[in-house]
Order: sequence, then structure tokens, then C-alpha cells
Amino acid sequence: MSQASTDEARSQGSLAAAVSGASLLVTCGPGGVGKTTTAAALGVAAARAGRRVVVVTVDPARRLAEALGLELDASADDPHHVTGVGETGKGELWALMLDAASTFDRLVREQASSPQQAEALLANPVYRAISGSLSGAQEYMAIERLHELHTSGEWDLVIVDTPPSRHAIDLLEAPDRLVGFLSHPVYRALTITQRTFAKVTNAAASMFLWAVRRLAGPQIVEDTMEFFRSLANIEPGLRRRASEVSTLLRSDEATFVVVSSPRAEAIGEAEHLVDALRAGRFPFGGVVINLIHPLPDELDDDALTDIGPGPLADHVAWHDDLRRLALAERAELAALVRLAGAAPVVELALRAVDVHDVDGLGDLADHLVGPSRRHG
Amino acid sequence: MTDPAWLTSTHVAVVAGKGGVGSSTVAAAYALAAARDGADVLFVAVDGRPGMGTLLGGRPLDDTDRILQRITGAGQVRGRTIPVDQAFGDYLDLRGVGGLLRRAASAASLPMIAAATPGLQHLLVLGKIKELERERAADLIVVDAPPAGHAAPFLRSATGLSDVVQSGPIREQAEEVNAMLTDPARCRAMIVVLPEVTPVTEGLELAAEVGGELGIDLLPLVVNSCWPDRAGLDKSPAVAARSQSVKLSAASKRTLDSSAAFGRARLDQQRSQIARLRSALDADVITLPRLTITDLGRADLSELADALVDP
Repeated sequence: MSQASTDEARSQGSLAAAVSGASLLVTCGPGGVGKTTTAAALGVAAARAGRRVVVVTVDPARRLAEALGLELDASADDPHHVTGVGETGKGELWALMLDAASTFDRLVREQASSPQQAEALLANPVYRAISGSLSGAQEYMAIERLHELHTSGEWDLVIVDTPPSRHAIDLLEAPDRLVGFLSHPVYRALTITQRTFAKVTNAAASMFLWAVRRLAGPQIVEDTMEFFRSLANIEPGLRRRASEVSTLLRSDEATFVVVSSPRAEAIGEAEHLVDALRAGRFPFGGVVINLIHPLPDELDDDALTDIGPGPLADHVAWHDDLRRLALAERAELAALVRLAGAAPVVELALRAVDVHDVDGLGDLADHLVGPSRRHG
Repeated sequence: MTDPAWLTSTHVAVVAGKGGVGSSTVAAAYALAAARDGADVLFVAVDGRPGMGTLLGGRPLDDTDRILQRITGAGQVRGRTIPVDQAFGDYLDLRGVGGLLRRAASAASLPMIAAATPGLQHLLVLGKIKELERERAADLIVVDAPPAGHAAPFLRSATGLSDVVQSGPIREQAEEVNAMLTDPARCRAMIVVLPEVTPVTEGLELAAEVGGELGIDLLPLVVNSCWPDRAGLDKSPAVAARSQSVKLSAASKRTLDSSAAFGRARLDQQRSQIARLRSALDADVITLPRLTITDLGRADLSELADALVDP
């Protein structure tokens, strides 16, 4: 099946500057808008511009993962070289799939003051259960992985695709939230060196443990206390890291690209996200509006009014449906274009078939960094 | 209108799909269809999105159970959200520890307890739904499950918790929730997809996980946003015009050629993906029409509710 023409894409901007200038690029936006595909295509564009780039994906669709050579069940957490993307000079594209739990493990090993301390925490059942599933853990670990790759010095550009989120600000607040958690009085009381449950004298903390025991049984109380104590050992490292990441994401090395579709709900979420980026003083690199239906020309032909049922009537009805939807989408996305202000906005046509190979990513890359025509 | 038996075949219908497939809309259409069939329906938004309240004819949803719409001579739709902290507070009160804990440790400790017991937040929301089901608070509870990648972890929270929590009331809660989820008379799940390759792949994966691993009985699967299947598109506009004895202008022919090229590719994909679903699933497959708008209104929801029971 051939891909539909993308001539309808009305690119009003280019992300070329973000791709060639930044050393960190974060894509964010609602679910189901092609965020991961956009991140991968920006990676292709960077490799073509001669940069050594790694794309960190979160939960990629199977076909895209396969296109990037990431096998979903294997250890895809290590960067994997993607060849044949039209790279130039020293340009190279690498990709990996975020594994929140193993990133958390590495962070623990790195921040613990001794291997014994690290192992004690890694073996704790509460830690094991929390490290992959704690709400916000995935967001925080995406940022942690970004920092890890950025500071390794191996990459000209690190692109991170973020977990889809209705509350997209989660990602940006993750480092601050971790510090907030570590500053909580109950946490503080629990982590002062104390041997047993009986010796926890702080009223709030003992009530907390009492409630945990009452609700979840006695075993988890010991595990929970042990978890908090082990975490205390690596706390200074976690705090330092959270503040470094917070600074890095606001520096001019970073840029954020918001990806949306023209559906009203997605546009609303993207608008919230743009506002949140600006309010948090994060560098805003531009907007990609994906999955826009092509707009056919208007039919202005007397011969086509009042035709009876038949194949031609099917053609006209299809044309009219498509045109109505395409016009509604263009009206809907205008608000987001206005909100973007001076930042580039790239509009991408819906393809007849979704992008599922390296050639498709290359085609998308052309549209993302194509010749700039500023939106008037 | 034929009223299909599945509509009110269970007490709790969990509607789930990946982000962007419109599962919240389908959940709202389901609630409306069941109310038209005479049921007293409670629509529950798990992630607390208020907007569906207006679409269902009432005020934006909050944590109070309110009537959104009465159907003359039939049932009604009520709606509410279940915020995690409220589910947790209710649960503590039920256990007789809420007041004590609040006095001693302040409400700020509650999120910490939840954080220290992974999956607890989802479990508490499911626990609240289970309480509503047990009270028979409505003939049918339609649950708009969390979107994106969170539907499966949400439903899995009851089984997942048992690895960490080996005894105590939370364990009991998990077992009770599990008993509800795996009893088809009490709970079934509706999976929503789009007629495209990747959403269908992901929908089949979700169906295998929910229906297989988690043992939740599946309602018909819904393919949302299907274009009307116009067979005439298979002919070129020129041939189609000749067959209807119409003379096309060059401009009209160009325009129709371009819209038909896109249309044929979309319809090919749609046909092959629906066929793929039908051959891969035991469950029925229902298609809902694509509406040529970007933002749904009440009339549109009504159209979808009709299509759901009489596709």
C-alpha cells in the first residue's frame, strides 16, 4: 500500500534549529498523537545533520520498535545502533527503550556509599515493588536516563520521548517531587537511625507505621522501615541529582517540543503543556501538530449536485466528509498555533499508513526540519 | 432498535483503550445507550476528567454522585469521579482508622502510605467501585478506565499487590476486588481500538492481557472512528462518472482523484484491520462511525449511542 501524499502538510516552521543546536531534546504531549515516532524522526534528522544522537523511547509501538531494531523482550535498555538513515559525516542514530526499574537500580548503585548499602536497598521487597511502578517513577527515570546519557559525553544530542500523560507537568516536577518526598516529616522521622518499630518515638511516624501494619500486615512494616532507612543512605546523592537535572532542563542546552494532534482534547492538553513549560521557564523549542487530514479542494461543479446513488455519489460523499473534517481540524489547531507565538510550528499530514520503517522516519524527518517558512 | 443482550449483562463495565482512541467517548455512549434501554446507570471517571459530565447532559463531574440526564420512559445516567485520596479516606474510615490517623499524622501522610504500598491507589479506586457494586448503587456502573498505558496496571493492581502484601485488610481488599473482576455476572471489560494497524495490535495485546491473564470477561470490542465503507471509491472518479452518465470537469476530476487516493488507502487499512480483529477474537466486534468533527457535542454522543446498539 502506498503512502498518501504529504504535500498537504503545511509546514509553517522548522525544527532544524532545535535538532542542530540543542544537546537535549524532550518531546512531550498527550497519548496517541505519534510522539515516539516524532522523537525518532527528529533523531534521523539529527544524524543526517552529522550529529551523534541517541533517542530514548518509552513504550514504543511494536512496529516502530522493530523499525529501530529494538526487540521488546530483550535488553533494549542499552543504546542500539540504527543504520541506513542517511547519516552524514560523524552522524549516527542510536535508540534505546527506557527501563525505569533498571535505571533506578543504576542510580542506587551509583549514589550508595558502599556496595553493601546498594545491595541492601536493591533487595528490599518494597523497593523492588516501587522502583518500576511508583507513580511518577517512570517520568523521573526518563529524566534520570537523559542526565546519564548527557553527562556521559558520548552524545551530541540526547532525545527523550516522555510517557504520555494527561498531567504532563508530572515530568517537569518529578525531580522537585522527589526532594519533597525526602523532606517529608514522616520520612525524616523514619530515617533517623532507629533499630525497631518500638523505638520510633515521633508520633506521626509511629502512627504511619501503625496504619501500614494495620492495613497491610506486619511484614511490610519492617520492609517499609528498612526501605526508608536504605533510601536515606543515598539521599544526598538523590537530592544533588534532582537539582542538577532541574538546572539542566532549564539551561539553553535543552529544548522541549510539544506534539499534538488536531483533536480538540489533544489541542487542549497541548495548550496546557505549552503554558506549563513557559511558567516553569523551560526552553520551548516548538510544536508539532501531527495526524492532520489532507484538505481536498472544494468541488464547484453543477454536474455534481443531485446525482443519484452510485459510485460517483460515493466519491462526492467521501470528498465532502474528508473536506468537512479537514476544515474542522484546521480551525481547531489555529489556537495552538497562536499560542506557540514565535516558536516554530510544524504541521504534519496524516498518512494513509502509519510510519513503521526507517524510510518513513526519513520522510517525516524531511518535513520536521524542512525549509523554514515562518507562519505569518 | 435492537437492544443487544450485552448492554446490561453485567454490573460493572470497564471501558479501556490506549490514548487517543476515544475510549472515554465510547464509555459515555455506552452509559447513554444503557439508560435508554431503561437502566439506572452510574458513569465513573477514574482519572477524574470532568468533561464527560457535560457531554452526558449534566454538570462537569466531581466526586459527588449526580444525575446527568433522565430519559423519559426509560432510565437515567448519573456520573461521578473517584479521586484516589477520597477512595483512600473512605477506605480508612471503613477500617476505623481514618479519624485516628488524620488526627495523629495529618492528611499529608496519606500519600506516603499509598506510595509505600505500590498499586494501592488503583486498588483503592477499584475497591470503591466494588463497594458501589455490592450496594447495587446502580443497575450498571460504566467505568472510564485510565487511558494510555495505564489501563492494564489499573486492572492488574489487585493481583499485583499480593506479591508485597501477604496479610491484612489490604490483602482481603485485593481478593474481594479480584473476585468481582473475574465474575462475568458482576464485571466485564470493553476494549476500544481504531481501525489502524498499530491501535489494533495494541488492542489485541490488551484483550489478551485483560481477557486472558487477568481473567476478565470481554464485552464486544469496539472499533471507533470507522469511515463509512464506500465501495464506489474502488472505481476511479472518471469510471464512476461514466457509469452514472455525468460529465466531470477537469478540476472536479483532479479533486476527486486526490481525495479518492487517500480514501482508498484509509478504507483498505480499515477493512483489513477489522477483518484481522474478527479473525483474532472470539468476542463480537462493533464498529462506530467516524464523525467529521474535532470536538463532540451531545447530538454526536447520541448518534454514537445509537450506533453502539444498532451498528
